[in-house]
Amino acid sequence: MKSKFFFQKEDRGAKKAKGKGDILFLAAVIFLAAYGVLSVYSASSYNAEVQYGDSLYFFKKQLIGFILGLGAVAGIAFLDYRKLKKLGIPALVLSLVLLALVFVPGLGKSNYGATRWIGFGSFTVQPSEIAKYGFVLFTAWYFAKDPARMRTLVGVLPVLGAGGCVCVLIMLEPNMSVTMCVGAVMIGMIFLAGISKKGIAAISVPVLLLVPVLIAMEPYRLQRLSAFVDPWASPKEEGYQLIQSLYALANGKFFGTGLFNSRQKFRFLPFSESDFILSVIAEETGFFGVILLFAVIAFVVYRGFSIANACDNFYGYMLASGITLVFAVQSALNALVVSGCIPPTGLPLPLISAGNTSLVVTMAGMGLVYAVSRHNERR
Amino acid sequence: MKKAEFSLSVLQKRLFAVILAITFLFCIFLGRFFYIQLVWEDTLHYRALDQWTREIPVNAGRGLIVDRNGELLAGNRAGYGIYARASAVAAPEKTARLLSEALSEPYESLYAKLTDRSRSEIVIARRTQKSVVERIAQTELKGVYYARNDARVYPYGALASQVIGFTAYDRSGTTGIEAYYNSYLFGKNGEILFDTDLVGIDLKGASAAYVPATDGLNVKLTLDYRIQAIAEDVMGKVLSETSAKAARAIVLDPQDFSVLAMVNLPSYDLNDIPRDDLNTLNALSRNSLVSDIYEPGSTFKIVTAAADIEEHLKGNKRALDPHRHVFSSSRTRTVEGTTIRCWSDHKNGKHANETLAEALNNSCNPCFVDIALSLGKETFYDYLAAFRFGRTTGIDFSGEAIGMLLPESTLKTADFARVGFGQSIAVTPLQLACAAASAVNGGYYYAPRLVAEIFSCDGSVREKTSPALLGRTVSREASAILSGMLEGVVRDGSGKHAYIEGYRVAGKTGTAQKYENGVIAQGKYVSSFVGYFPANDPRYLALVIVDEPQGSYYGSTVAAPCAKQIFEGIIDIMHLAPVEAL
Repeated sequence: MKSKFFFQKEDRGAKKAKGKGDILFLAAVIFLAAYGVLSVYSASSYNAEVQYGDSLYFFKKQLIGFILGLGAVAGIAFLDYRKLKKLGIPALVLSLVLLALVFVPGLGKSNYGATRWIGFGSFTVQPSEIAKYGFVLFTAWYFAKDPARMRTLVGVLPVLGAGGCVCVLIMLEPNMSVTMCVGAVMIGMIFLAGISKKGIAAISVPVLLLVPVLIAMEPYRLQRLSAFVDPWASPKEEGYQLIQSLYALANGKFFGTGLFNSRQKFRFLPFSESDFILSVIAEETGFFGVILLFAVIAFVVYRGFSIANACDNFYGYMLASGITLVFAVQSALNALVVSGCIPPTGLPLPLISAGNTSLVVTMAGMGLVYAVSRHNERR
Repeated sequence: MKKAEFSLSVLQKRLFAVILAITFLFCIFLGRFFYIQLVWEDTLHYRALDQWTREIPVNAGRGLIVDRNGELLAGNRAGYGIYARASAVAAPEKTARLLSEALSEPYESLYAKLTDRSRSEIVIARRTQKSVVERIAQTELKGVYYARNDARVYPYGALASQVIGFTAYDRSGTTGIEAYYNSYLFGKNGEILFDTDLVGIDLKGASAAYVPATDGLNVKLTLDYRIQAIAEDVMGKVLSETSAKAARAIVLDPQDFSVLAMVNLPSYDLNDIPRDDLNTLNALSRNSLVSDIYEPGSTFKIVTAAADIEEHLKGNKRALDPHRHVFSSSRTRTVEGTTIRCWSDHKNGKHANETLAEALNNSCNPCFVDIALSLGKETFYDYLAAFRFGRTTGIDFSGEAIGMLLPESTLKTADFARVGFGQSIAVTPLQLACAAASAVNGGYYYAPRLVAEIFSCDGSVREKTSPALLGRTVSREASAILSGMLEGVVRDGSGKHAYIEGYRVAGKTGTAQKYENGVIAQGKYVSSFVGYFPANDPRYLALVIVDEPQGSYYGSTVAAPCAKQIFEGIIDIMHLAPVEAL
């Protein structure tokens, strides 16, 4: 059975893609990644100097990630994305294996009380960043194979199962925020796939109920939650991170202190180059800069969904919208954390924050969305 | 193509719903950014400022304390503190070596201090001389800072030590005038602010902000250091000659109650404070004249006499005529079954047929019992209140005691009778001196003062104290009558050891037995004398108290001569001419 989406014949896809695709979308993505490299330099140079004796330490790493990311975009942009259908199951399996490897002693790397990385020497990978896209690839393949699966709960179960496995493994690291992110993407994709309203309610309610349970399971989450309500109750412990982020934002005011002029990056604000890079950006470029940055991010999100909308096949639609959804949800969650709307959790701002796994994988994902846009134009 | 399972419009709607949800999220945090960055920013920024800088204090110069003539009593000697911030010290070995040479302190301990990063600011030397600091400053060591930290010096050492008081290590006043007027003397510390990172390392290219200190204001006392020195000299001698426990004196100007001298011996050197022995320090630094109480004895008869004269002039029938009433010659009075005796045996015509003037001359106790009982509790307590017994005099000094006055409502008549001659009542020496002064100056009671004015470094007067009239005690007429009688005490009576020819000295002696645990302590006396001159227009009033003199213990023989010597000293210093022909 084919949906109304497939008004174009499958064999057309076999033709060599020639469209330019959504160049503006791609340009915005590359701009964000480049801006990220610059921001990482500004946010990290002092820390890098103190910690590694090289003020360019994080900058260089990020630059490598950016170049790798460009390579990934270039490689994927000219692919026929429909061939990736084959990767549906392998991507999920690879994701689960990588996530499981985190718990293998010697391979897993711990930091700040959580085991979130696997490493080979100085080379480390954060599997949860890969797993998000692995899950998207699987779900897109699964639903595209037979969109009618959406109508029964049994049909949706494999997606719930895959998402559940990914979530459990990430939760065990532990990493609450990425778990929430995957959960949100899972529900979002099932929703985007066109499940009935009753169905979406039947799935989301239990998932939402799980959140307080998970919070109650770990005492440190409760502490963070109370610190979030009043960070000044424990300014040196749980409240510290949020207070420092608020100070950075406040110091930025409307136009910011100017690029490279952050005061909080001088070791006051932890994770200033990674999860809290938005604090530094807000300090240096002010509310004005935050508005511009999120205008670009919103543009990428909008164009991503537009590409999904314009897609002539269900797989492309699910793929583009799923990847865009990951990007949008993660950007929003990060901004909500940085501005103290939700309790602090470790989640990078995609394309901007330091962290090569996230950068390369996100750029690759965006390359895939671009590939979909190129395919759309051929019709 | 088959009919689609899902229409395009459904998926479009879904996409639209997701975009809407994400837009909603974006609006939430952008609103929050707006609030934090444009509304809340002031409060947050103010809090953040504190963590961005480290401070090195710039100490304000403490104000001087001078006497009424401008003589320096408390000043400063320039000194500098040396501080370091471990995180900003570039070469700890070299720094420690140079500091060790300059300060002659062991290298190891300095090195340990300089590398101790657990503390942000380290005190290398609390106070060193300027020359040492200048030598160290030439080497331009990184992470080492200097801040003015003067030492307090007292040019006269022990002079008026309990009045002047001393300061703590942080240069704030701990006792005396140093404490009471600390808010004027201290000034406002400034600071040098360094922009640093989280652990206190200076930021590159950041310049230090300098917030200058404001020096404190100077305090001019009402004390005259020359009179103070004479009084201390005199009291020092009597202390050693009589092996007394303590010797104290107050010199007041009866015209406005400005304090000219306050002597508490034994004393201590303000430049060598026994800070390690707290009990000794507390005992020696206490201004007993203000803070401690004693049973005044016969000097208190001035108050009883004043009350009687005033009431008589007012026409109170119960008052005994100060000129015509002749007291019973009996040695005893029996009140409520208890017998009150005169200190004299009344034999061989002693203390016989006395008038008030003679009763004062002889310090005859029964006469003052008669006056008190005749006036009655109510009237007498009105006078006690007017003379401010049982409440503070209002002097500008901390820790003033109010004395002990048996409450009028529960007062037994036997006790009340004793109050008439200064027993069963406890007062501070300051209260007694002020009461006497107001009884003889025309009946004016002012708040006693130790500070005349506050002035700034350039000499301009910031605040000037003026006599504060708290109330009237007796009329000018009654005061004049009383003063005439007290002049007689010194000319003809028990106070004759205070007599100075031509200067019309007046006064009253006092000898009180001390009580310990409610019973009379055998052989322990307080000898006192309150005197002033000239009797017709009092200018100088002195209260002398010798606590537990050995050997002779009468106020007339121990205390009165001290007052005389103090007065002679004043006459000498002030070049006072005699007021009556010799």
